[in-house]
Amino acid sequence: MIGRDGVTGLIACAASLVLFWFTLELEKNPLVPIGPGFYPRLVLGISAALGLALLAADFLRRRGRPRAAPSAPAERLNYALVALTFGVFGVYVLLLPLLGYRVATFVFVLGCSFLLEPPRRAGLWLRGFGLAGVTALATHFVFEDYLAVLLPRGSWTGF
Amino acid sequence: MYGPLWDALIGLLQIKYLLPLVIGTVAGVVGGALPGVTITMTVIIVLPFTFGLDPLQGLAAMTGVYVGGSAGGLVTATLLGIPGTPSSVATTFDAFPMAKRGEAGRALWLGVWASFCGGMIGGIFLIAATGPLAEFAVAFGPWEFFSLFILALSMVAGLVGRSLLKGFLSGAIGLVVTVLGNDPVMGLPRLSFGIEFLEGGIPFLPVLIGVFAFAQIMADVETMGGRGALAASLDRAMTLSVSHGKVIWEILSRPFLLLWTSFIGVLIGVLPAVGGSAANMMAYDQAKKISRHPERFGTGTPEGIIASESANNANVGGSLVTIMAFGIPGDAVTAVMLGALTIHGIQSGPLFIAQNTQIAYGIFAAYILAHPLMVLVIAFGARLMLRVVTVPKAALFPVVLVLCVVGAYALGNNMSTVYVLLVFGLLGYAMVKVGLPLAPLILGVILGDQIETNLIRALMTDADLWLFVTRPISGVLLALSVISVVFALWQHRRHAARSAAADEAEDF
Repeated sequence: MIGRDGVTGLIACAASLVLFWFTLELEKNPLVPIGPGFYPRLVLGISAALGLALLAADFLRRRGRPRAAPSAPAERLNYALVALTFGVFGVYVLLLPLLGYRVATFVFVLGCSFLLEPPRRAGLWLRGFGLAGVTALATHFVFEDYLAVLLPRGSWTGF
Repeated sequence: MYGPLWDALIGLLQIKYLLPLVIGTVAGVVGGALPGVTITMTVIIVLPFTFGLDPLQGLAAMTGVYVGGSAGGLVTATLLGIPGTPSSVATTFDAFPMAKRGEAGRALWLGVWASFCGGMIGGIFLIAATGPLAEFAVAFGPWEFFSLFILALSMVAGLVGRSLLKGFLSGAIGLVVTVLGNDPVMGLPRLSFGIEFLEGGIPFLPVLIGVFAFAQIMADVETMGGRGALAASLDRAMTLSVSHGKVIWEILSRPFLLLWTSFIGVLIGVLPAVGGSAANMMAYDQAKKISRHPERFGTGTPEGIIASESANNANVGGSLVTIMAFGIPGDAVTAVMLGALTIHGIQSGPLFIAQNTQIAYGIFAAYILAHPLMVLVIAFGARLMLRVVTVPKAALFPVVLVLCVVGAYALGNNMSTVYVLLVFGLLGYAMVKVGLPLAPLILGVILGDQIETNLIRALMTDADLWLFVTRPISGVLLALSVISVVFALWQHRRHAARSAAADEAEDF
C-alpha cells in the first residue's frame, strides 16, 4: 500500500518526467553550445530522482513498520469549508475582470465572511454588509485615488 | 560610514519617510500581536500599499513591519499566554507565568526593552558587516555565486521541516517553477506551452503571497471553521505600569546573557530561512544552559524573557545583512522586501550598497528608528492591541485575501499574476498537507534564475566542472553545502533515534 509521501513522490516524479520530455523538443542554438534545455533537464532530473526517492523511502518505511494499532480519533478537520473557501476565491478571481474590483470585492467579502460564519443574528448580517462595503470602497480609494495603483475594471460593468 | 548613516537618519525624519515607517511599525506590532497572523502575512498585506510610494518609503514601511512584528508577538505571549508569532513562543514560557503572578508590567517591559537592546545589537552588526561582506562578494565570479546559492538552498532544505528528502524536493519544485518560460541567459523560448504570460517566466511575488497566505489562512479555516476570535479577551484589571529604569537595569545587569543571545539571533538571521522562531528557541535553550538556576526557567524568570526577545529582534539585523550583501533573503519577510526592490527596478546583491547608497543607508536608518517607535507603539497601544485580537477570523480572512489579490494584480496590472496567486495558493496548501516545507520552495523560486545564469556563465567561460571545486571560495562554499547536508542528516537521525527511544520507554 502506498502512503501519502509515496503519492507525493509519485506525482513529483511523473510531473518532472513529463516536463523533461518537453525539454527534448527544445531546439539547440548553434551560437550557444549549452542550449536552453540543459539547465531544465538538470533540475527536472533532480526533482524526478527526489520524487522517486521519496516514493522508495515511503515504501521501505511502510514495509519495515508493523501495522499500527488503531489510535485515538484525531481532530476533525473541516476540508469541505476549505474547499468552499477556495471555490469562493476562485469565483472572485473569475469575476474580477467581468464585474470590476469594487463589485467583485463586495460580493467576495460578503460571501466569504458569511461562508466562514453564517449570519444567524442580525448583527452578523450588518457586519457582513458593512465589512464588504467598507473593504471594497476603502481599498479602492486608497489604492486607485491615493497610491495610484490601478485595480481591475469590469468588462460587464464598465468600471 | 557614519556620515551617510547620519544623513540617512536626518533624511528619514522627514514626514514623507517617517509616516510610512510609523505606519509600518504599528502594522507590524499589531500583526505580530495577533495570534495566527505572522510577520510574513503582515508584510504581504503592507506590500501593495508600497507600490505607489518611492522605494525608500516602501522599504521603510517594511522595515517597520519587520521590527515591530518581531516585538509585537510578545504582547499576547505575555498577557494572554498565546504567542502572537512563532518567534515569540519561548517568550511565553516565562513572561506569562510572571504576568500571572501579578507582574504583567514587568514581564511585558522586560520583553520590550530586551527586544530593543537585541535589535540595537543586531543593528550594529547590520551596519558594520553589510558593507565589508558586500565588498567581499563583489569579487565573486559565476562559480562562487552558483556555489553560494547552492549553499543557501541546501541549508534551507536541510534545516527546515522534519524530512531532509522533503526539504530538497520542495527546493527542487521551486527550481522547476523557474525553468518555465524563456531561458534567462539567451532569452530563447522554452516550456511556455503557447501561453504568452509564461514566456516571461513566473514572477516570484505572487508565488510567495499565494503560498504563504493561503497555507496559513486555510490551516486556520480547517481547524476553526473561521468562527471565533483570534484570542479570548484579557484580564482588564491587569496593570502594565512599571519602573522603566529598573527594568532596563534588570536587562543591562546581565550583559553576557544579552550579548550571547543577541549573537545567536544575529547568527540565525544570517542563515537563510531559519528565522526568528529558531532564534527565539535556541537563545532560550542557551540561556537555560548557562544559567546558575536552570530550574527557574519556565516559572517566570527574567532571563528567559530577555534571552528569547533579544534574540528574535537581533535576528532581524542578521536577516537584513544576507539580503543586502548577497541578495539572498534570510526569510520570507526579506523575500517580500526583495520583491519590493525588484518592483522598483532595483537589483539586489553585492552591488546594491554601491549602486543604491541612499536606499541602503535609508534601510539602516529605518531599522534604527523603528526600534524606539516600536517601544512607543507598545507603550501607548498594548491594551488596545489586546482588543484587536478579538477580531473575528470570518471578518479578517476575506480582507486579507482581497489585499493579496491587490498585491498580485498591481505587480503587472493584469489578471495573470492573480491566476498565479490562486494556483500557488492551492499548491502551497497541498504542500503543507503532504508535509513539504514551504521555505525551500520559495528560495528555489527566488534563486532559480540566478543559479541557472551563473551556472551557464561559468560553463561558457570554461567548461571545466572542477573549477567549482578548485576555486578556493567556490570550493569552500560547496564544502559547506555538503557539511550542512551531513549535519542535517545527523540531526534528523538523532531526532528519529530519540523519538524511537521515547516510544520504547512508553511501551515499557
